[in-house]
This record gives sequence, structure tokens and C-alpha cells, in this order.
Amino acid sequence: MSIVLIGSSIVTAATFFLIPTLGEILTERSGILNLGVEGMVISSAAAAFAVTYLTGNAMIGVLAGMAVGGILALIHAILSITFNRNQVVSGISLTVFGTGLSGLLGRDFVGRTIAALQPIPILGLSDIPFFGPVFFNKDILVYASFILVPVLWFILFRTRIGIVIRTVGENPAAAYTQGINVILVRYLCVILGGMLCGLGGAYMTVAWMPAWTEGMTGGRGWIVIALTVVALWHPITAFLGAYLFGMFHVLQFSFQLSGIPVAFINMLPYLSTIAFLLAWGILLNKQKVKRIIGAPSALCVPFEKG
Amino acid sequence: MSEKIYGLNTVLVLAVVFIIVGAGIGYGVSWAVGPGAVSPTDLGTLKAGFIYVGPIGDFGWSHAHDQGRQFVDDRYDWLETVYLESVPLDQTGNRIDYLINEQGCDVVFTTSYGYMDATIEAGGDHPDKMFFHCSGYKRAANVGTYFADFYQLYYLNGLMAGALTKSGKIGYVAAFPIPELIRHINAFELGAQEVNSSVTCEVKWLLTEWYDPVAARTAAESLIAAGCDMLAFTEDSPTVLQVAEENEGVYAFSHYSPMQSYAPTSCISGQLADWGVMYEDILQKIYLGQYDNTNLADVDYLWLMKEGGVELGGLFDVPINTLFIDDLDAINVTDPILGELSVYDLVMKRIDQMTDINVVFEPFTGPIYDQADMLMIEAGERATTFELLTITWFVKGVIGDPTP
Repeated sequence: MSIVLIGSSIVTAATFFLIPTLGEILTERSGILNLGVEGMVISSAAAAFAVTYLTGNAMIGVLAGMAVGGILALIHAILSITFNRNQVVSGISLTVFGTGLSGLLGRDFVGRTIAALQPIPILGLSDIPFFGPVFFNKDILVYASFILVPVLWFILFRTRIGIVIRTVGENPAAAYTQGINVILVRYLCVILGGMLCGLGGAYMTVAWMPAWTEGMTGGRGWIVIALTVVALWHPITAFLGAYLFGMFHVLQFSFQLSGIPVAFINMLPYLSTIAFLLAWGILLNKQKVKRIIGAPSALCVPFEKG
Repeated sequence: MSEKIYGLNTVLVLAVVFIIVGAGIGYGVSWAVGPGAVSPTDLGTLKAGFIYVGPIGDFGWSHAHDQGRQFVDDRYDWLETVYLESVPLDQTGNRIDYLINEQGCDVVFTTSYGYMDATIEAGGDHPDKMFFHCSGYKRAANVGTYFADFYQLYYLNGLMAGALTKSGKIGYVAAFPIPELIRHINAFELGAQEVNSSVTCEVKWLLTEWYDPVAARTAAESLIAAGCDMLAFTEDSPTVLQVAEENEGVYAFSHYSPMQSYAPTSCISGQLADWGVMYEDILQKIYLGQYDNTNLADVDYLWLMKEGGVELGGLFDVPINTLFIDDLDAINVTDPILGELSVYDLVMKRIDQMTDINVVFEPFTGPIYDQADMLMIEAGERATTFELLTITWFVKGVIGDPTP
């Protein structure tokens, strides 16, 4: 019983880390760094909750969350792609702006309750001991995250669209000479990435913990940025990374009586980020490996035609 | 809050009318004799400024203070209030200056422990104004302090948790290891032990923020995984109640604001702060000239159940969720003094005793042992206020580390 509960907590926490990370991977693969994840996630969390409350339909709330994520990402796209502004500054502004915006959007909805997305047991799979209740008795957004991982992997690494996106991220000038509309590709990736962040925010308030209160993400949008790097910009490793971080998040409470200081356990996600960065730096210093996994070469570099 | 207001209305309105009329006459007389200290009002108007550490939308601490502010603001024509929310600690001084210089406030309430030193400093900078700091211990001629504590309510919640637990394990989600929370956790466990001596209380610390629903949820889920079926908490979100509502057979106690709506079938009771009555008391005394900028050095409100600063329940005027009254009535316990009675009656009796003017019952009455089985409070002795305000040890039966 208790192992199932802990496993179940890990899956729900990991889903919150996973969906926005997939969005950030898509964004960064096109060469744009968006540090506005926290702002997009929390604004869309507020929007999704408000719309669900007003319409009584959680799926419309989810769509509203994705729309808000997309719109905020569009602001970043306009600043960083059209006007070639500093992406770090624009992204951080977006986080600060989004945090404020979420307070405004959610102002009238504090203390309200909504009918959350309910778990839908998957016939056949949900009866498997342990794995059934942990993975296959969840709400639809958790299943969506399971599907998004292979879909994003397939698009990025097995389709022409993926080649285009990665080329734009690695060498936009070369992509441009081949007739690829670099600006358009980057816009689409940033906006779609923002919509995935929005989906993550919506997951928080519509499925995971159905309530709105200000600042409820508690800065965890930043973990997404770290996770993107730990996962080496790859959806499959992002899945593993999100579950690892989800595990840290849940197990910190299980280890409270073990004599290990809690503050140390709380540090683990960040400590492991540093460890991974170090490990990757040593292990993956090869051009061949880097083409599949690793930072896009043109990440954060503004592109100007001609 | 409104139900609460109506409950008290008749008595209070009459009392207030008498006080105002009576004191008005008295004040007029004293004014004729010659006013001593500077009074902001001369029975004109009074402007009060409030500084909150969080957003008023937190549905916890700052929300409760703002409810109190609205309560007094709505009630008195002579009172005008303004507030600033989410004020960072390092901005306290200039925000107080803003409230006084730009907004023309006569009195400023600073509602977080961290504002303490800045409030004392502002008191020095504006000797003709009044200040009240919540939860601190530093005072000055024009700076008073006020606070309301919940430990008696946690004890009452513990009585119910101890009676209703099936697993014999109750749990507690706690933000930070400070004396206030250690006192709450101990009181919760002492209450549970009183009706069921074998109950243990497991503690999970957040150690991140006062307000961190993500961590609170995971902490609550890990308590359930450890077998706890009754949960209480001290952090600023309704998350623990939501988790209880989602999990069959798990029940919880609301904290600070009326949060029962988050868990209509799983919230047994809870603790409620009513800052409104305290703000009313303070502001009226200022308005009537009883408090001024020279006599606040000894004004230290520590309101418990007796003063009406705190009350039992997950909703105002609903001390126990009606769904649980029959269950509590069906469980009998034997008290050495009260004899055999139901847990419901015991809770009601304890409420009477602790709201009694003489406070004839105190949860922290010895013999009380700590986790290492050391006698901390002698048999028959009550913990002093100082001991309670500085407590750093867990009572026997608490599973957790008071210094995580």
C-alpha cells in the first residue's frame, strides 16, 4: 500500500517537471533560450484554474492554460527573434511578469474549488500489481506526458521537421541558405514550447492540486531549466530526469527520520544538476555524440539574415 | 466570516455603542482638563495602515489579517484603512514611511515577525505615530505587540484525532522548526494521547517556505504512506485538506482560515484566527484615547481562546464538522476528574474550561515527558508562558526531529 502511494506521488510530481521540460527542449533545440518557464507555468496555472472554475469544464481550462503559455512565449519570441534582444534578460523578465500576471488572473479565484480531472484507469493495465495503480490509474494529462515523450523524440530525430528545427538551432545561417525560414521555425518552436509549459501549469491546478493560491509553484519552474540541461536536450533522458527529480522531491520526506539533515535532501535536485553537468562535460566532449544530445550550438545566439 | 459577525453582532454593537458614548463623554472631560499625549483622532477619524508579508490571496496568514482589517473597516465610519501586500522584509522601513507620509496613517500594523526591527526603528523616526507589530517581542513607547496562538486548539484537534484514528498514527505537516510549531505539534499529540495513550504523531518538515503547496502535498502523501490517517498542519495553504479529501479514510484539520470547503467530507475541525476582534479592540482603544504614542511599551496582546482571538473549527461557528459529531459522541473515555464521558462532550468541556476567565484547564500540565523519556514538566505543574514560547523539544509519542 505505502509503496504504491509513494510511487504514485512520484509519478504525479514527475509529470509536473516533465511536460514543461519537453516544451523547453523544443524551444532550445531551435536555438532560443527561454528562461520564462516559471512565469509561463504559473500564469497558465492561474488561467487554467480560473477558466475551469468559470466554465465547469477542466478540459477548456487546460486549453486556456496552453493558450496563456503560448501567448507569453510569443512575447519572448517577438523580443528575442524579431528584435534580437538579449534572451536571458527577456526570459527572466517573462518569469517576473508572469508571476505578477498570475496573481492578477487568479485574484478572484482564491479559495474556490473546482472538480479536478479524475483518474481514468486503463483497462487491463491498471490491474497490474504496483505498476497499474502507479502509472495507469492517472488523469489524462499524465497519459499525455507518456505519449508526448516518444512523439517529441520522433519529431526531433526521425522527421524532416526535426532536422529543420535542429539545423536552425545548430547553424541558422546554413539553414537560411538552404531556404529554411529560420524566423518562422523559431517562432513556432518557442510558441509550442510555451504551450507545453502552459500544459504543465494547467496540470498543476486542474489535476494535481486543484486550487489556486498565489505563488503556488514555489519557483519549481526553474527546475525545468536545470532538467533541460541535465537531460541534454533529449526527450527520453528528460523523461528519466523528470522521474529522478520527482523521486528526490518525494523521498525527501521519507528520509526525514533517517538522520540525514532535511536541508541536505532538499539540495539534491540542484546538487545532482551540478554533478550531471560535470559528468556530461567530462564524458561527452565528442562532436559525434553532441549531434544527438547536447546544447544546440546556436543556443542564445541572435540570428540576423544575410 | 460573515456568519461569525452576525453571531457576535448584537452583543458587540451594544457594547461598542456604550463604550463609544461613555468614553466619548469621558474623553471630552479629559480633553477639557487638557490633553496630555498627541491623539491622532480627537474623536475625528483614524487612518490605519497594514503591511502584509504575503499576498492577501494566500488563503492563510496574510489573508486572515486582511479579513480582520476588512472587518473593522466595514464596521466603523471613523476608521479608514489601507494595506500593502507582499512587502519584502528589506522594504519595511520605506513602506512604513510611505504609509505615514503619503497616506497619512495614524497607526501602522506590521504583520510578520521579520518586520520587528524595522517597526521599532520606524517608531523612533515617527514618535507622534503608533505602531503595532504582530508576533514579535520588542516594544517602545509608541510600538505595541500582538499575537494569537493556536496551541489550545491543536490540543482539541488532537482529542478528536486520537479518538477517530483507526491506525493509531496521526501526522503533522510543518513548515519550519520554530517554537510555535513545536508547541502546536506537542499540543496535538498531547490531545490525542489523552483519549488514546498509544497514538503516535509523525512529523514531516517542509523547510522550504511557509507557503509551498507542492511540498505540502508530497509531505502529506508521505505521511499517508507511513500509515497516518489523521493529519494536521502548520503551513499557509489548504493542500493537506485536499490530500485528505482525495484519500479514502484519511481526515484532516483546517488551519488558520476557514478551509473546510476544501475538504467537506474529510475536514473534522481546525483552528481559526479572528484578527478582526483583536484589531477592533486595539483600534477602539486608540480611537478613544486609551492608547496613544506614549503608553504602548507594555501593550502586549497574546490572545488565546479566552480572549476570543482564536476559535475551534474549519468554518466560523462550526467547531466540529457535523459529519463527525455522531462518531465522536459514540466514543467514551474516562477522565480522572470528569469521569466517563463521550469525546464530543470532553471537547466541549475543554472548550468551556479554556474559555473560562480563569482558564481552568491547560494542555501543557505535567507530568509531560520528552522523546527521550525525560520528565520536562513536573506532575501537576503548568508550563509557563515563557516555556511555551521557547519550547524546542517534542513530547513523548512524537516521531520526528525537532532540529531537522
